[in-house]
Amino acid sequence: MSTAVERAPASALAGSEPVGIAGIGLGVLAFWLALPPVHSRTVALPAVVGAAAIACGAWAVAGGRRRLGWAAVAAGVIGIAGAVLATHASVSHLQAVITWSTILAATLVFATPLTYAAIGGMFSERSGVVNIGLEGMMLMGAFFGAYGADKTGSWVAGVLIGMASGAALALVHAFFAIHLRADQIVGGTAVNFLALGITGYLYVDIYGNNGTPDNLPAIPDVHLGWLGSIPPHSLGSFLDEVLGSQNLMVWLSFVLLVVAYIVMFRTPLGLHIRSVGEHPRAADTVGISVYGVRYASVVTSGALAALGGAYLSIGFVNSFTENMTAGRGFIALAALIFGKWRPFGAFAAALLFGFSSAFAPQLQNVDAWSTYGTLFEALPYVLTLIAVAGVIGRSIPPAAIGRPYQKQ
Amino acid sequence: MASEPALLELRGITKRFPGVLANDHIDLDLRKGEVHALLGENGAGKSTLMNVLYGLYHPDEGEILIKGQRVAFASSRDAIEHGIGMVHQHFMLIPVMTVAENIVLANEPTQAKVFFDRAAARQRVREIAEQFRFAIDPDARIENITVGQQQRVEILKALYRRAEILVLDEPTAVLTPQEATELFAILERLRSEGLSIIFISHKLHEVLEIADRITVLRRGKKVDTVPREGATEDGLARLMVGRDVLLQVAKSPARPGDVVLDVDDLHVVDDRGIEAVRGVGMEIRRGEIVGIAGVDGNGQTELIDALCGLVKPSGGSVRVGGLDITNAGPSEHLDEGLGHIPEDRQRRGLVLEFSLAENLALHDFDKEPVARFGWLRPSLMLERARRTLPAFDVRGGGPRTLAGALSGGNQQKVVLAREIERDPKVLIAAQPTRGLDVGAIEFVHRRLIEERDEGRAILLVSLELDEILSLSDRILVIYEGRIVGEYSPAVTEEELGVAMTGGGRNKAA
Amino acid sequence: MTDDELDPDLEDVVAEERVEELDSEPEARSGADYAPSVAERLAFYQRAGGIVTPILTALLAFFVGGLVVLATTGKNPLATYRAIFDGTGLNWLFPWVSGTERSLAALNLQQTLLIATPLILTGLAVAFAFRCGMFNIGGNGQYIVGAITAVWIGSSLNGLPGWLHILVAVVAAAVAGGMWAGIAGFLKASIGAHEVITTIMLNWIAVWVGSYLVGFGGPLQDKAQISAPVTKSVAPDAHLPVFWGSAVLQGLHVGFFIAIGALAVYWIMINRTTLGYEVRAVGFNPEAARYGGISVARNYFLAMAISGAFAGLAGSMDILGWQFHLDLTTVQISSIGFTGIAVALLGRNTAVGTFLAGILFAALLNGTSTRNLDPSVFKPELAGNLTRIIQGLVVLFVGADLLILYLWQWRRKLRLGRPRAVTGQ
Repeated sequence: MSTAVERAPASALAGSEPVGIAGIGLGVLAFWLALPPVHSRTVALPAVVGAAAIACGAWAVAGGRRRLGWAAVAAGVIGIAGAVLATHASVSHLQAVITWSTILAATLVFATPLTYAAIGGMFSERSGVVNIGLEGMMLMGAFFGAYGADKTGSWVAGVLIGMASGAALALVHAFFAIHLRADQIVGGTAVNFLALGITGYLYVDIYGNNGTPDNLPAIPDVHLGWLGSIPPHSLGSFLDEVLGSQNLMVWLSFVLLVVAYIVMFRTPLGLHIRSVGEHPRAADTVGISVYGVRYASVVTSGALAALGGAYLSIGFVNSFTENMTAGRGFIALAALIFGKWRPFGAFAAALLFGFSSAFAPQLQNVDAWSTYGTLFEALPYVLTLIAVAGVIGRSIPPAAIGRPYQKQ
Repeated sequence: MASEPALLELRGITKRFPGVLANDHIDLDLRKGEVHALLGENGAGKSTLMNVLYGLYHPDEGEILIKGQRVAFASSRDAIEHGIGMVHQHFMLIPVMTVAENIVLANEPTQAKVFFDRAAARQRVREIAEQFRFAIDPDARIENITVGQQQRVEILKALYRRAEILVLDEPTAVLTPQEATELFAILERLRSEGLSIIFISHKLHEVLEIADRITVLRRGKKVDTVPREGATEDGLARLMVGRDVLLQVAKSPARPGDVVLDVDDLHVVDDRGIEAVRGVGMEIRRGEIVGIAGVDGNGQTELIDALCGLVKPSGGSVRVGGLDITNAGPSEHLDEGLGHIPEDRQRRGLVLEFSLAENLALHDFDKEPVARFGWLRPSLMLERARRTLPAFDVRGGGPRTLAGALSGGNQQKVVLAREIERDPKVLIAAQPTRGLDVGAIEFVHRRLIEERDEGRAILLVSLELDEILSLSDRILVIYEGRIVGEYSPAVTEEELGVAMTGGGRNKAA
Repeated sequence: MTDDELDPDLEDVVAEERVEELDSEPEARSGADYAPSVAERLAFYQRAGGIVTPILTALLAFFVGGLVVLATTGKNPLATYRAIFDGTGLNWLFPWVSGTERSLAALNLQQTLLIATPLILTGLAVAFAFRCGMFNIGGNGQYIVGAITAVWIGSSLNGLPGWLHILVAVVAAAVAGGMWAGIAGFLKASIGAHEVITTIMLNWIAVWVGSYLVGFGGPLQDKAQISAPVTKSVAPDAHLPVFWGSAVLQGLHVGFFIAIGALAVYWIMINRTTLGYEVRAVGFNPEAARYGGISVARNYFLAMAISGAFAGLAGSMDILGWQFHLDLTTVQISSIGFTGIAVALLGRNTAVGTFLAGILFAALLNGTSTRNLDPSVFKPELAGNLTRIIQGLVVLFVGADLLILYLWQWRRKLRLGRPRAVTGQ
């Protein structure tokens, strides 16, 4: 839909973009000041900072960066409101809930499967194939990762088998979407049903009521004890708590992120994928195989999503249960859209969504707040809804997404 | 030199589609350093032939020889490797990518064999552009450059791939006369550099200006190949159509009555936020056809959309029969006596999955007699279709036939039937004959003149100057969103051409 | 694809498109860049195979499902299907079934129809949006919103007379579902946000907000049983009357007739009202509809809202008909709305088709339930997942009209092999 394309008028005030971004930052800061460890107990300090955020936003709006500016204004208002709430809460409650190192460590844990699946989704969608089957592909990875690890006794083999299973499911999606030119949303829905059925069926058939064995080979954690000795002590122990014993897959997701960015934006292959997703006929006329690129991209997306699933089963909880992805594939899809189909954008969104998942259980620590934990789980979806609604800068998908290509 | 084998030879190319023989044993040869025009009407088989040459279609019969060697193209990649470059009518460019990225796509320079080398790409593009004296910024995004520049990118794309044969498919269709002149200069330069060019067109004067030899196609068959020397417009037209062309449609002088469509200082902003119509004023009277001439993209679409209520004007007023409908929605416009034949009948004029009866009801499906109190009355819908369709000579189906099953000409007759049946005061016809065969064109033209004689006001917007000249009683020229001149139909094409480019900088040919 | 081998009734259409394509018609809807909308494809597909293709689709899915059974358990797939069939109660329809077998069948059939009721309604929720060219994946969220509304009203407002209480709860649930879906419709109509994305998001928002509402400490949790995440029960006078079987033993309630009524309303709305005409026009070709003076945005919103109302209705039927309260697990794992997608697709968005597909999937769900499937024949837990596989296969095959067309052509080729070969095409 070609609604208003954002264009800064020629008369834009100088620096309205950095000022707007700074405004958003100040809004967040305003809230943060009222939280541990700073604990501003008066509203004054956050209010001043929040007001500055609003002022920055107003500047950006006046300078023509309307969306950014309004976002900064909103950040300022929400920041002040949050700070007001926080200053009214008791310090003990706040300390019980807000343990930054725990939250950040958990944020990474929750963000990791999303990152894998979202990066996978990026390949598929950048090549023009909608992939709402990410959920199913993750689930395949989760089950077959566990199954493979169990049968071979090696987590490496488990991960590879998991990836292969996701790729196989993606191949089905690809075949229907590309060769049979079926509707890609219908195909993705079907693939999700299929994965749910297949993994559930095999799980019951193979593991019955006992569940997966307790001694599943697990993807190891990476212990970085030396982080704790970084001076000053408080920083060192903070870093150690956040990063000191994360799973290997968490670190690999950072590597994947960089690789994905390079492939997509710094190699001919990436150029081909993007050209196929934007204008397949143009790519075809210069000799790029549209079908080939799309098959490769969709299968890659399946393998990567499955990697995220395998992390869930043999990296995180060390078992498989039916439907254990529980909608994470859809959150990954949301992260992809929220991040505007770019790797770092998707990663940032995954972190944000991971944060909300990490924060929700913290609320359980205070009885009075425990009921709101579930509400927090809805946050990623609400944010994505707001994002697609165009309030926070519009997400524009690849031009040819969802459209089957017919060779002449 | 004459005995040297042709650079390219097509022998007996035949291509069938279900129910259609698109190319029927066509022979064609191209010499080194010549511009060879391929002339024919819409549907003559020009594009099919070129798609065969470019490896996009596989011929059912016949062979292709390059420098005397038989070749077979499985895909466009093969054609490219044999030195064929194609500039498609609809550019094969990716709007969100840069000029350089588009040009090197699929033949990217790399660093360490893995990374895309942007600097080298930019450099290569600059070199070629300089060699052929093209002014182009390699870092500009395609969506931000003009159509004429985009076409140059397409040509550069072929040159980057070391094309020796350049095929241009209706290259001037999207250009202003000024840009067309520049294109011809570029083609001259390419020819002098030794390239061979196939130039597809249905415009006689262009072909006579640029081509060394001219091959005429008609209904999938080759009619003749003639050298430019000695060829005339009349002669070529006869070859193209197969009989003497009636460039003039028989009509009596107009007898204009009251003003029924009164447009005053209309301003319209397009969906990119740019003002596309900038103060159009005009009065259209009963019983006259007013033609709007102009190069595509000068505000015609936005003007029509505003007149039909599809977009809200940002300023000015529109009155039909004295009633101000400037800010009313599309259905009010239609109710107040506007009829609209949209420029793309398949996308905008018809619901192809609806039956003809349902399509005829597209404006009044919620009014008596076909509906009452929100209920449809299908039998009355069918009954009306049974009356209307024969009256407009719609063939190939009855009231229950799906619109998508009709030929283009008959589809257009259905649109015409619907719009005229409603007895509008003003009929807006946008490109009413685009893509139609000669018979259907004649039908549409005759019908428009009949409606004029019945006392309707007709606003004809067309990119075809022939059509404007032969139908209009008055001609308005639109340029950059403004009406820049009014002419009588006695005006020459040259004069119009000058006005269409914003006034006489030079006498466009 | 080999266009020259299509069915004769398709050939006209295809040939026409080709003619248009011969000399580049700008922007024509014929070029290969043109990708048909879902609704367009479905229309095409509908013409191509009549009733044959959905049956073929279902058979193919069951066949593949049978292979799975055979490959993994070595059991006879036919015996498995037979056992599942016996659990559905559909054998009640056979006049020769009698005695205790018949009364057992009656009980089972009641359950099947009990499940069919919301499936038909969520199927309609998907189908109606489809007719307007939209894919409503949010049936599940709309169902949850409807169920929550129904349980809230059903368990409060206790002074009302029974029929009014029911009416208020049902209407409120439909309105709530409609408003929930209306958000997606509004976002599409106003800024063009894709309804698939927005309805997916709304699904999960409904799940989590619903979990909050009925969960521990949530506003709707029954304060009398603080240890269970469950709502208060619907007042007995607001229960839907049971007309077949025992009200105590979860007999079939009148909601089944409401679903049948909804089918009729759907058919009439689509085919016999000006609203339906608008919806179909927008679904097939929004651009032409707009040029014809139809408000596309209004129809997007209305179609989505009406769709949501069907799903919301489904939620209220389950709550007022047999569940009577809502617990956390139900909110989180309910997939009635997703199965509705399969129902609508297999039923090809027609009223009759949706009814039949609704019964089919209900039968599958019921026949594979722990209660009805003899574990010695086949493990019910396995069978439940088999149902999901079959469901997935149905959706997969239905989405691939070309696959069916290929099979169709293949059949034709077998029949007409020789004459085709002679023409040498």
